[in-house]
Amino acid sequence: MKHGKTVLLGPGLALLAWYLIAELRLVDAFFLPGPIATISELLELAVGGGIITDALLTLERVFLAFVIAVLVGIPVGLFLGTSRRVYESLEMVIDFFRSIPATAIFPLFVVVFGIEDSSKIAVASFASALIILFHTAHGVMHAKKSRTLAARLMGATKLQVFRFVSFWECLPQIFVGLRTAVSLSLVIVVVTEMFIGTYAGLGRRLIDFQYVYNIEGMYAIILLTGIIGYLINAVFILLERRVVHWSGK
Amino acid sequence: MGITISVRDVKKRFGQKEVFQDVSFRVRKGEIVALFGPNGCGKSTLLNILSRLVEKDGGKCDVDGFSSSRVSYVFQNYRDSLLPWRNVYDNVAFPLELQDMNADDIRKRVQEVESILGVRLDRRKYPYELSGGQQQMLAFARALVTRPQVFFIDEPFSALDYENNLLLRKRLQEYCVIHRPTVLVVTHDIEEAVHLAGRIVVLSKPPARVVDVVENPSAYPRDLSFLDSKQYRDVKGRVFAAFQKGAGL
Repeated sequence: MKHGKTVLLGPGLALLAWYLIAELRLVDAFFLPGPIATISELLELAVGGGIITDALLTLERVFLAFVIAVLVGIPVGLFLGTSRRVYESLEMVIDFFRSIPATAIFPLFVVVFGIEDSSKIAVASFASALIILFHTAHGVMHAKKSRTLAARLMGATKLQVFRFVSFWECLPQIFVGLRTAVSLSLVIVVVTEMFIGTYAGLGRRLIDFQYVYNIEGMYAIILLTGIIGYLINAVFILLERRVVHWSGK
Repeated sequence: MGITISVRDVKKRFGQKEVFQDVSFRVRKGEIVALFGPNGCGKSTLLNILSRLVEKDGGKCDVDGFSSSRVSYVFQNYRDSLLPWRNVYDNVAFPLELQDMNADDIRKRVQEVESILGVRLDRRKYPYELSGGQQQMLAFARALVTRPQVFFIDEPFSALDYENNLLLRKRLQEYCVIHRPTVLVVTHDIEEAVHLAGRIVVLSKPPARVVDVVENPSAYPRDLSFLDSKQYRDVKGRVFAAFQKGAGL
């Protein structure tokens, strides 16, 4: 870590504040169990309560949704980015669908894909693919022309220009899209798990705990979901630094 | 000796602004010619027209045997023409890769151009890890690695300190003595123009026309003592007089 110990200061302070608020009973202990109680609940759930299975199932759904989104979003984005006219004619439609909260169209997906996993994965990959597509297309459209020109001048064919220049040129933008999309996938999967059609998954577990007023369990799941989301993001940032090392330099 | 580059009555306008008015000159095979003139007189535009990146509005422009494998161009914004996702070696090798040269031959060519330019850039570094001057050296190396027969250079030494500027001029002359490319160099520095060029085409302020073509017959390679010689001062005086006339000073 570049920043050394200072990065731990924020989380440390947040934990301390949480601890103090709970300990001093500034909030009713029923609504806000302290960090120690929550973390020990989380550990108990992890050992005997099966939330590892829940987490893995949620991650599997996120992974599938993300992979589908990548497989659709990147090629379509590259295509739309290179043919400006097609993009312009579709821009409003893309922006419209991007603006609908994905969970608002979940009922439609349930009608089409059924109440089980397919509809959850489909709605998450739909929303994520739009994000990846959007970033990819913009990456292609706003790439600097100078390198393309230089390559053309060296005699590069259209395919070579794409393979050696344009693709790399928009890779940093693609990564921004990927990172946003994977976080969104997690959000959508967890939310849709709360609705219908599954007996496992972090969202399902969360809503179950809420029904039975297992508030400590609820906080434990929220904490776990947060940690998972954070780690996924961190992995993508790391990957981004490795792969598109030139970005922003 | 045949004519390699001929420019006849070339016209160009950008919107309302007329850049050239009937510019004509010729560059013979193996000759170094400098285009010298005030800001905005379209020196770079002329190179872009010759390398077919920009359309002209009238007149004739010919580069004998124009083909991408024989023409190299060092852009003024060298930084934006290097590929930041490729390291130094792969940047130099890039134009040869486009020509499908095999890896062994590429290695030999890169070595050759390194020894001609006398540069020792760390091959594993990326362009953004180099100084401006080093990047410019890299752009030069990439342009010369194809052994171009026609060589366009736009403000080649702008990012270099004086010491490296002189060094690169020396190397460029050495290269030209061996490989005899036809060179058209755009510069706003009178010393560079007179040091390098066998003829200096002095352009007026826009709409540009050719004010004078000053012959500079001293033999190559011209070492540093040339910059203190009578021939140098004579030629510089004539270029300066033409420049004053053209710039309306």
